[in-house]
Amino acid sequence: TEWNVSLWGKRRAFTEHVEKLAELVDQKTGGEFTLSISYGGLSKNRENLDGISIGAFEMAQFCAGYHRDKNPSITVLELPFLGVSSLEQEVDLAMALYKHPAVEKDLGRWNATLLMPSPLPQYNLVGVGDAPATLADFAGLTVRATGGIGKAMETVGAVPTSMSATEVRQALDSGVIKAASFAPHAHMSFGTIENGKWWTTNLNPGSVHCPVVVNTDALADLSDAHRDALLSSVDEALAYYIDFYNNKTMAAWGPALEERGIEQVTFADAEIAAFKEAAAAPAAASWIEENTARGLPAQELYDMITGMIAGDS
Amino acid sequence: MEPIEIGLIVSGGMLVLVILGMRVAFAAGLAGLVGLIWIFWAKFGYAPDKFEKALTVAVKTAGQVPHSKVSSQALSLIPTFILIGYLAYYAGLTKALFEAAKRWFAWVPGGLAVSTVFATAGFAAVSGASVATSAVFARIAIPEMLKIGYDKRFAAGVVAAGGTLASLIPPSAILVIYAIIVEQDVGKLLLAGFIPGAFSALIYGALIIGMALTIKGFGPAVSGFTWKERFVALPPALPILFVVVTIIFFVYNPFGGDAWGTPTEGGAIGAFVVFCMALYRGMRWAQLKDALLETAKLSVMIFTIIWGVLIYVRFLGFAELPDAFAAWITSLQMSPMLILICILLAYAVLGMFMDAIGMLLLTLPVVYPAVMALNGGEFVSAADSTFGMSGPMCAIWFGILVVKMAEFCLITPPIGLNCFVVAGVRDDLSVQDVFKGVTPFFIADAITIALLVAFPAIVLWLPSQV
Amino acid sequence: MAGSSLVFTDASVLSKADRVLYELEKRLALLSGLAVFSLMVLAVLSVSGRNFLNQPLPGYVDWIEQAMPLIAFMGISYTQRDGGHIRMDMLVGALKGRTLYAVEFVTTLAIFVLMVLLVWGTWAHFQRSFDFGAPMWSRDSSMDIALPIWPAKLLAPVAFGVLCLRLALQLWAYVRAFINNDARPIAVPMILNAAEQAALEAEHVSGQDS
Ligand code: NA
Ligand code: NA
Repeated sequence: TEWNVSLWGKRRAFTEHVEKLAELVDQKTGGEFTLSISYGGLSKNRENLDGISIGAFEMAQFCAGYHRDKNPSITVLELPFLGVSSLEQEVDLAMALYKHPAVEKDLGRWNATLLMPSPLPQYNLVGVGDAPATLADFAGLTVRATGGIGKAMETVGAVPTSMSATEVRQALDSGVIKAASFAPHAHMSFGTIENGKWWTTNLNPGSVHCPVVVNTDALADLSDAHRDALLSSVDEALAYYIDFYNNKTMAAWGPALEERGIEQVTFADAEIAAFKEAAAAPAAASWIEENTARGLPAQELYDMITGMIAGDS
Repeated sequence: MEPIEIGLIVSGGMLVLVILGMRVAFAAGLAGLVGLIWIFWAKFGYAPDKFEKALTVAVKTAGQVPHSKVSSQALSLIPTFILIGYLAYYAGLTKALFEAAKRWFAWVPGGLAVSTVFATAGFAAVSGASVATSAVFARIAIPEMLKIGYDKRFAAGVVAAGGTLASLIPPSAILVIYAIIVEQDVGKLLLAGFIPGAFSALIYGALIIGMALTIKGFGPAVSGFTWKERFVALPPALPILFVVVTIIFFVYNPFGGDAWGTPTEGGAIGAFVVFCMALYRGMRWAQLKDALLETAKLSVMIFTIIWGVLIYVRFLGFAELPDAFAAWITSLQMSPMLILICILLAYAVLGMFMDAIGMLLLTLPVVYPAVMALNGGEFVSAADSTFGMSGPMCAIWFGILVVKMAEFCLITPPIGLNCFVVAGVRDDLSVQDVFKGVTPFFIADAITIALLVAFPAIVLWLPSQV
Repeated sequence: MAGSSLVFTDASVLSKADRVLYELEKRLALLSGLAVFSLMVLAVLSVSGRNFLNQPLPGYVDWIEQAMPLIAFMGISYTQRDGGHIRMDMLVGALKGRTLYAVEFVTTLAIFVLMVLLVWGTWAHFQRSFDFGAPMWSRDSSMDIALPIWPAKLLAPVAFGVLCLRLALQLWAYVRAFINNDARPIAVPMILNAAEQAALEAEHVSGQDS
């Protein structure tokens, strides 16, 4: 059996768990079951869920925020200021969420079964011009931030501006925006740090959630041995991913900032608390309202996630 | 059958359809769809009861492509840049430019053709699309050349070749497409096109003068303009400068401050400036409607090719043809410069059969990483590199080379879009006539490309100043 | 080949159908041109909003992405009617009479088959983004300001459907021309001889030269 896997961009920290999964499955089945990974050849990233639903390929990665209406249930993990503190914790939250019947049903509309998350650390801003000393300095600052993070930035007076990720570098260099929010690996690969002057270390407004899914029918059609080989490899692939992100990507991040003389801005705890106060609750309330209207048990999903986070700390 | 074999067979079938005269966009789309059906059915072991499923999956996969591929911000520059060209025509800018170029340069041997080349180069500074430039100059310059006895095929060739300058000299839709595909700085790429574009125009001019001096009965020089007449012709063409400055300021502020916006916005603002100018020059709804219909027609033609080719590319993705190519090219035991030259030659051959944008979309995802690897990687320093330039500079250099190759393809048979457009606008010319007339410019382009390869500084000097 | 070709008309039902459809096609194409114009207006709003009001246009990119299918699809049938989609006319340019009509019929039929299948495929793409039960009927929305995408996705099967009508009409026209062995076939773009081309060009240029 050969499965086609639709990813995008190029091989990077963000795709290492899928690469590892392919390696493990190949090993365990003696080459009988292979995953053929394509970077952008099979679909556009925003259409990966469509491709799964059609049956054009059997496995794919996408980000929930690309199309919230396609997968409203898992956008709960993109709410600002959830307080997720590690990649391991993010994996635990995601795996628990994926088992919830409402979530299974939501993705079931696409004939998709959630396999594993691609945990990303908290987003932070890289910016040009004078570094902000306090949150008040964000007033009037044009920033590229989408979804929940954009909403959060609005609450401190920043002006979110939309553009595709590939235009961010140009917009930053030319002064159209003053700051951009990404996870560290994306700040490096989209080049925002090349001319950036400062970076916020602890704004931590949230992250994006990008699961890997499989076609439900294709999963059912696998022989028991092959299915077992796949499902039993998920934990090891995720462990490999987390190790790679923490020890390779994050290890490169600090030196990359220092090499370019980028100022690291850390806000006082009280300020961050005030930011969270202003941004988190309204965003959660509107998420719950909106998704209850869709017929999702939104309050229950929200309580489950926040409850797990509270229980951890 | 292996997916790669299916890929080769279907590609052959597409060529047959194109030669039979099927519209190119649809031939590519049909080849892609048939290929997808074949690939999926092969995956189901050609079971007769599975054909319907293979068909469904293939049709739905192909059905995603048109909407998902055209709804892109980057591609929005294409219709805007085309609109600029048509509005500039109604603003009288093309005529003013041609008139000024004629009064200043037509006294040299082959003068009217030389003037046409310089006028298209000037117009290139407001037009982002080669085909639009060729289309408007076919209306203005060809009749004037015919009047004084130029061979009609050569006159058409001058316009078809001159049009290609629009894609090097900023603004340029195709440079933007390159920048988006390879994720490089759009602004620096646009700047980098300026000198090679002007350089190409000079070489075209030199070629025409050379031909006029050696060929008997070539179009005569036009002399007798007084200095007063020359200077009077300049002001009506000046608005071009204004538009150029506007667009430049949106890409990069020469005074060191912030640029005014993104290139996407710059293109649209440029169109707006020309629109106001055209209103001032008396354009009304009837003419605007014509400009909009012409823009729509050219845009829809290009977009249909884009999604048609992309259905075919989607099939190639499933057939794993690009991967096979990448593996092959990086395994070659040849000097990197020789490989680069082979890649450029391959583009020349491929470009004979493909549209420029389709060709770049099809190949760059595979070829660009290979070229960057040849130079020593994306982040290599100039000192450690193969071609003597840093990673980002290599991306710019290769971009200009590839775009120049793509432009070359716009004038080579059998599918040279510029020649089709000129033949379309001038109904007394067949496509074959235009292809004959444009042949001398192949030599000029070959010289230009050789010089750009040998002396990368022609490309890299300007962007390295920023 | 690109640009204008001549389409002959007469008093037949076929020609009448051709002209009625052409009116519709022209309106759709104008819609596409107006969408290009709106891109320009959007940019002016976005830039002036950002620079003068410190308030950028929310969802600028989302709106552009909504406008693009209008630009890309709506004129597709208009362009086919006038013979504006490029092709190589070396072979067909050399053919005459029944051979020409037969070859044109075959390639047009191939386009027809492709487009019928793509109406199905693009309709399915639309359907996946559409849900009567959801707010704004949306099952797929834009990234920044969550505009429903189904209207834009619906444009593809609609425009392709009109193109299928046009192709069916052209198939009918080629069959008729083949049967009658017409010298001047009705309702299909013709590759012209020099005199006809000159006449058409004169008409064209006098209409719009400024
Ligand atoms: Na240009
Ligand atoms: Na060509």
